[in-house]
Amino acid sequence: MAAKFPRLIVLLFRLRFLRSAEFALGDLMEEWNAGTGTRRWLWRQALSMMWLGTERTHSAYPQRGNNMNLISGFWSDLRYAARTLRKNPGFAFVAVLAISLGIGVNTGIFTVLNGVALRPLPVPGAADIVSVYQTIRGLKSRNVHGAPSLFSWPEYKSYRDDNRVLSGLAAYEPFLDVTLGGAQPQQLFGQLTSCNYFDVLNEPPALGRAFSASDCAVAREGAVAVLSDNLWRTTFAADPAIVGRKIVLNRQPFTVIGVAPAGFQGTEPMASQFWAPVTMQFPLGRDIDWFEKPDMSWLVLLGRTKPGVSRSQVRADLAVIAGRIDQLTPDRKTTLQIETGRFLSMPEERKYVTAVGAVLLSAVGMVLLIACANVANLLLARAAGRQKEIAIRLSVGASRGRLIRQLLTESMLIALLGGALGSLIAVWSFEAIVGFVFSHLPREAPPVAVGVGPDIRVLGYAVLLTLITGIVFGLIPALQASRPDVNTALKQSGIGGKSSDGFRHALVGTQVAVSMMLLIAAGLLLRGLYLAQTIDPGFEMKNVAAVSFDLRGQGYDAARAGIFQRQVMDRLAALPGVDAVTEAGNTPLSDSHRGTVFSLPGHPGDYQVEFNEVSPEFFSLLGIPIVRGRNFTGNEARTGAALAIVTESTARRFWPNQDSIGKILHMEGESDMQVIGMAKDAQVSHLARSNETYLYLPAGPKQQIRMKLLVHGADAFASTATGIQAAIHSLDPGLVVDVAKLEDNLEVWRAPSRIVAILAGSLGALGMLLACIGVYGVVSYAVSRRVREIGIRMTLGADAREVKRLILRQAMWPVVIGALVGIAGCAAVSQILKSMLFGISPHDPLAFVIVPLVLLSVALLASYVPARRATKVDPMVALRYE
Amino acid sequence: MASREHLGEFEQIVLLAVLRLGENAYGVPVRQEIEKRTRRSLTVGALYRTLDRLEDKGYVASWFSDPVPERGGRSKRYFRVEPLGIRALRQSRQELAAMWDGVELPKAMHGR
Repeated sequence: MAAKFPRLIVLLFRLRFLRSAEFALGDLMEEWNAGTGTRRWLWRQALSMMWLGTERTHSAYPQRGNNMNLISGFWSDLRYAARTLRKNPGFAFVAVLAISLGIGVNTGIFTVLNGVALRPLPVPGAADIVSVYQTIRGLKSRNVHGAPSLFSWPEYKSYRDDNRVLSGLAAYEPFLDVTLGGAQPQQLFGQLTSCNYFDVLNEPPALGRAFSASDCAVAREGAVAVLSDNLWRTTFAADPAIVGRKIVLNRQPFTVIGVAPAGFQGTEPMASQFWAPVTMQFPLGRDIDWFEKPDMSWLVLLGRTKPGVSRSQVRADLAVIAGRIDQLTPDRKTTLQIETGRFLSMPEERKYVTAVGAVLLSAVGMVLLIACANVANLLLARAAGRQKEIAIRLSVGASRGRLIRQLLTESMLIALLGGALGSLIAVWSFEAIVGFVFSHLPREAPPVAVGVGPDIRVLGYAVLLTLITGIVFGLIPALQASRPDVNTALKQSGIGGKSSDGFRHALVGTQVAVSMMLLIAAGLLLRGLYLAQTIDPGFEMKNVAAVSFDLRGQGYDAARAGIFQRQVMDRLAALPGVDAVTEAGNTPLSDSHRGTVFSLPGHPGDYQVEFNEVSPEFFSLLGIPIVRGRNFTGNEARTGAALAIVTESTARRFWPNQDSIGKILHMEGESDMQVIGMAKDAQVSHLARSNETYLYLPAGPKQQIRMKLLVHGADAFASTATGIQAAIHSLDPGLVVDVAKLEDNLEVWRAPSRIVAILAGSLGALGMLLACIGVYGVVSYAVSRRVREIGIRMTLGADAREVKRLILRQAMWPVVIGALVGIAGCAAVSQILKSMLFGISPHDPLAFVIVPLVLLSVALLASYVPARRATKVDPMVALRYE
Repeated sequence: MASREHLGEFEQIVLLAVLRLGENAYGVPVRQEIEKRTRRSLTVGALYRTLDRLEDKGYVASWFSDPVPERGGRSKRYFRVEPLGIRALRQSRQELAAMWDGVELPKAMHGR
């Protein structure tokens, strides 16, 4: 007797054939038991059966219901589906392409969102890292640097020392800009951290050491720094002896004690370049020492949970500490938010990220919806063509469930092929989207630490999306096609029922509506963008350089700053080609704004107003005329006299039909200001908005420390800029000087609308393409189905034009209805785009007329092509056609 | 018959094996008969694929025996050549004979 027959072969046969090839298995057992061949031979035989064998269901083995055939049924369904797709390469191509575009764009956007805000921080053991934020109620006032959800140092110490659930809790100040001194000063972005920061994150420095407790022991001491790998390589040429060297940050000497590992760029989306102890907050040149203040929000907390401790235990334990802190202040009520540590986890940032993410995902979701509607439509048309086949199957006893399963297998196969191709597109589009967005961000946008590609989360998303997609576009056609009205179907010659017609038209309408919304949004944004490119802001932007430097960071006080500014302005004015120099608190149309509240004597209530502090040359340099009254004098500006110049709109608003000159503005805690002049309106604050309340105040001695300069020069910008740099450096070589074209400020306004316009435009174009394929498909199908009717009409004397018109009319009505729905829908939601439209109404008639016209004509073309084919029908062929 | 189904070489071999075995024509002897006479090795997968195709064309018919203990309690699938199969075989033989008629193979090609 030979060895035992391998169980694995029996198992494989069961999986492959269930019980329908038992006879072949019997053959193999018989030969094996007779000792015919070797084990190798046996396996070759068995595998040949797997590969070549066909199912022959054997009546000697009664079927155990439908379940028995589940696997083999799926197998044959799949092969059948593959075969049908192969037989209709055109259909397969269009369907797979549509789905892959839809899934690809979605997965691409998701990859970006995942990299920016969903994946855990890129540190070892990231699943154990928690971020802690707080919401405080019942306080009259609290100082905030950054966001209200941050913590003070004393609060942090309570949580750090009293908790029993964290193996470590670190704190850091997320936004710190300093100047690195040296031959070529540069601005650095970094963080002030508690001294256990690197230990909690488990990121020991690659070189040197991390902070030790003694570095953070005494306020205003601990002048040591850890550099990022990138800073070490670029600025310090990867000097192996960097540890122990002194560097200068904001004029303070710091000792480098370590270099962070290469992959670690901090815990903020912007890549950090250095870290320093939190005790150095004041010495680093902040005007207020808030290190020990108990009511100051400035620190982000990141903790690492002890092994085996759950999130709810962390919440409970820290809540006890929060309760203890609350007792120190009457009425204070603290709620903690504890989540897995991620980028952009601050509640204030989350809100924004969630909103942007939702808008983006719904836009790409719409494209996928169009793609699904499209494929569903193609499937419906095909199913109608297969009505007879399906009816026969039903009448010979196939169950409806079995048929639906088979039809769903087909749509799943399309979805899977599309999903696979789409994931490839996603990887590509992720890089394209990231590259595109970064290339369109304004010049001063910082480097980011979130350049991450697809991961398991993205893969899961793609798979889930694919499965849902397959069901969404497959289920309704499958339900429709398998309706068991066998009799009618058998009698009809391949003509689908009325209701599936209605459904197909609804699908076309949906596609048109959705792509209409995307396209109108793109149209509005493009119109706004065009306006932003061509708009006249009402002041001179050409040949003006904006110069800024950080005097406070360099240890200047107000008095020294004033002297320095005067010297700089004199030097700059003496440069060749420069004809005017002025001070300004903010450069026009920059992204920083200053506002205050004032009241009018004799009037109740406060008014919000935006203002800028300027020297007298400001108005002539920018070509903003003083239309009434007078300008500041040089002396008034130098002394910071209590005078103001208002804009025309401001005067109209507060003193309608009166002379504004001589009026008094009252500001809390300041001496009353007298209005001495009225300047022409200009869009100095927001692009395309000039009717704001706006004041110009003199740039007095107190403000000198944060003044920026505007320089008007006739020469080319590059040479002017070099001259400006050299002139300022001759006065203070340690100052980082930024010289930019004033026109660049426009970029800040244009970049978001350009990015959104191009994204919406390409999504809309994609949607329109898909919708037109849908329209085309439906019309050609309708034509092919009515060949006989058309033939009869033509034989009876209908002329070609009439037939064409008939077909077009029937094809276009769902398109027109969809278009109307789309227009209405877009009109309802276009309000959210308002901030990016630069004065164009969100119901801009041009966009709302031209875009629908374009879309309708494309749809008309898509239905005209097959409609024309209908009139080429030979009546004789048509009559015989079945 | 409007379009005559042509028998492939392997189909002819399988049909002839089934004919030769008569009452005993099930998987194992059919496969062994073909291996013995043609001296080529043959897999069950290829054999059943061909038999299934021949059954689809109506050239053979098959039925199942009762379970056999030596086969792990599995039944045998027996085959029998149907009249259509006989006709196809006859036609193939006539065609081949017609082609062979008067052909003298060159000496060199006899070889060995």
